[in-house]
Amino acid sequence: MTDTPAGNIAVAMSPAGDIVGTRNRWYLGLLLVAAPVLLVCWLVIYPIVSAVVQTVWLPTGSGEYGFSLETYRFFFSDSYSLNNLKVTLWTTFVCAVLLLVICLPIALYLRFSSGRLPAYVQALAIFPMFVPSIILSYAFIRVLGPNGMVDILLNAVGLPKIRTPYLTPWGPVIGLVWDHIPLTVLILLSGLGNVSNQAIEAARDVGAARLRVLWDIILPRISNSILVAASFAVLGIFSAFTIPYVLGPAAPEMMGPFMQRTFRELYDPTNAITQAVVSFGFCIVFGLFYVRSVARNRKA
Amino acid sequence: MKRRDFIISAGALAAGAALAPRVAQAAPGVIDWYTSSDQNVLDFWTNTVKPKFEAANPGVSVNLVDGGDNAGLQAIAERALAALGTNADPQADMFEGFDARQPVGAVDKGLWVDIKAAGLSNYGKINPLALELDGMPQNLPYRGSQVLLAYDTTKLAPDAVPKTWADLVAWIKANPGQFIYNRPNKGGSGGNFVRRAIYEANGRDPAVFKVDNYTAEAGGKMLDPAWEMLKDIAPSLMDGGAYTSGNTQSIQLLGQGAVTMIPAWSDQTIAAINQGALPETTGLVQLQDLGFPGGFARLTIPTNGVNKDAALKLADFVLTEEIQSAVLAELGGFPGVSWDYVSAELREKYKDVIPASIPVFPGGDWEKAINEGWYRAVAPNVDPNS
Repeated sequence: MTDTPAGNIAVAMSPAGDIVGTRNRWYLGLLLVAAPVLLVCWLVIYPIVSAVVQTVWLPTGSGEYGFSLETYRFFFSDSYSLNNLKVTLWTTFVCAVLLLVICLPIALYLRFSSGRLPAYVQALAIFPMFVPSIILSYAFIRVLGPNGMVDILLNAVGLPKIRTPYLTPWGPVIGLVWDHIPLTVLILLSGLGNVSNQAIEAARDVGAARLRVLWDIILPRISNSILVAASFAVLGIFSAFTIPYVLGPAAPEMMGPFMQRTFRELYDPTNAITQAVVSFGFCIVFGLFYVRSVARNRKA
Repeated sequence: MKRRDFIISAGALAAGAALAPRVAQAAPGVIDWYTSSDQNVLDFWTNTVKPKFEAANPGVSVNLVDGGDNAGLQAIAERALAALGTNADPQADMFEGFDARQPVGAVDKGLWVDIKAAGLSNYGKINPLALELDGMPQNLPYRGSQVLLAYDTTKLAPDAVPKTWADLVAWIKANPGQFIYNRPNKGGSGGNFVRRAIYEANGRDPAVFKVDNYTAEAGGKMLDPAWEMLKDIAPSLMDGGAYTSGNTQSIQLLGQGAVTMIPAWSDQTIAAINQGALPETTGLVQLQDLGFPGGFARLTIPTNGVNKDAALKLADFVLTEEIQSAVLAELGGFPGVSWDYVSAELREKYKDVIPASIPVFPGGDWEKAINEGWYRAVAPNVDPNS
C-alpha cells in the first residue's frame, strides 16, 4: 500500500516526482484558469441566464411578474418572425456548403504545392480578413450591383446584364462567403497538416487514384477540421449583421438585423431578447459540435 | 527592438489605453458637440460654423464628433442623464439632430436647457413655423430640410416630371424598375416617401396626425390604406420591389444610372452633386399637391455640460444671418430663421423653393407603427425569385 498520506508525501517530496514543484500546489492550476472562467461566467453565462429569465418572467395583467411563454408563443406563431428565422437558416446552410466547396480545394492546393504561386494564392485567400465588412458591402454594390463593374464588362463584350444579387437573399450569401473564406481556409489547412506525405505516397504506390486518396486517406483525417470549420462558419454567419443589413432584402430579414430593428426601432427589448434566445438555441448546437470535436482531439 | 522591450512597451501601451478613458475630462473652453446627421452636415460644421465661431470667440473651440445615428446620440444623452445630479462630467455640451423628447424622462429631470428661457439674442428670429411644429422649448430648430424627388434629366425631361402624387404613381407604373426608395426606418428619404403615401391615403391633411393621437385602432384605419397603395407600386420598383437600406445607397443607385428617380433629402442631394457623387444632370422637383414631409434639425444643450455657457453662445451664433445664409447657400438646407433674416440676394435666388409649409410627421407611437407596419405589410410582398 503506497496510497497512504505518508506515501504521497514521500513521493511528492522526492525531487524526481516533483520536478516543477507543483504537486502540493494543485490550486495553482485552478488559479490559472480562474480568470478566463470568471470572465466567461460574467460576460457570457450570466447574460444568457438573465436573457432567458427576462423572456419568461413577464409582467402579468395585474402588474405582478409571473412565468409566461407568451413571447415564444408569439415568435413561433408569427409567420413574419418564422420567415426571418427560415431565411437565416437557409443563408447559413448555403454559406456553409459553399464555403466548404470553395475552401477545401484552395486548402488542398496550398498544402500539396510549393513555390512562389501558392504563397500568392494564400495571401489572396487571407486578404478578406483585413477588409471591414462595411467596406466590402459598398464595394459589392459597385461591382455586382445594378450597372456595376460586372455589368459594364459584360456590356463591353456585348453580353446582357446580370440579374444583380444586390437586395436579394443571394447578396448576403456572396458577401458572407467571401468574408469567411480566410478563417475556413486556415482551419482546413491546419487540419491538412496532420496528413502525412508518406501516407499519401503509400496509397499512390499501390495504385490509388487521386479521388480515392482524397476520399479514403485525406478526408477521414481532416473530418474534425471540417466540422470545426463548419461550426465557426455557422456561428459567424448566423449572427452576421452588417452584410445582410446592407446587401439583403428588406424582408425577410436575417436574425441580426431583425433583432437590432426590434430593439432599437420598435423599442421592444423583450421580443428582441426572445429572438436572441432563439438564435442562441440554434447556435449552441453547433457550439456543442465544436466542443465535442475539441474534446475528442484531446483524447486522441 | 528586443522582444522583451517590445512586450514591455506594448503592455504599457495597452495598460495606458485601458486607463486613459477613465481620466479623460472635458477641457474647459472646448465645446464637445455630437451629431446624428449625415456627413454633409458634419462637413458644414467643420468647414463653416467651427472656423467662423472660433474666429469670433478667441479661446473657445469646438470639438465636432460624429455620433453615428440617433441611437448613438441616445447613448451619449443617457450618459449625461446618469451624470445629472452628481458632479460627474458628461463630456457633452451640444447635440445636433437630436430631440429633447429623448431619452425618456430627461426633460422632467431637467437634462436639457430651456433655450426659450435662456435669453438668446437671436431667438426671436426663428421661423415661427419651426417652433410651432416642434413645440419643445428645449429644442432649438436651426436648419430645415425636405425630401424631394431627385431624377436623371438625361432620361426624363424636366417638363415631363410628375408634379403630383397621382402623376408620380402613374409614372412609376409606366416605367417599371426605374424607381426605388429606402426602408422607412433606415433614412428619412424613404421614410418621408412612405409618410407622403400615408398623407395621400388620409385626404392629404397633415393635421390629422398628432404626436399623441395614435391608437391601435386609428393606426389600422389610417395606415392600412397607405400600405395598399405602396404594395400596389411595389412590382414596378427596381427589381420588382427592392428597397435600399439607407439614403446613401439610393443616391448611389441613381448615380450608377440603375434607376431614374429616387426620393432624396434636398441638402444631401445638393452636396452629392457638388462632390460629383451625382452628375450635374440631376434634377430636383417637389410635388405640388402636397410636398414630401421634412423637418427642422434641432440643437439641444444638456444643463450639466462643463461648457454650457459657451454652447449657448454657439447656439446664438448659429442663428446669425451669416450662418443661416450659409445653411441655404452651402448646405442646401432651409434656414431655421424666418426668411427675412437671410441675405436679400439669397432670398431672391431661392424664392421658388421657399416652402409655404413643410409638412412634418409626428414621431413617437406613429413612427413605431410605421416602422413595424411597413415591414410586415409592404416589404414581404415580393416574390424573391422574380
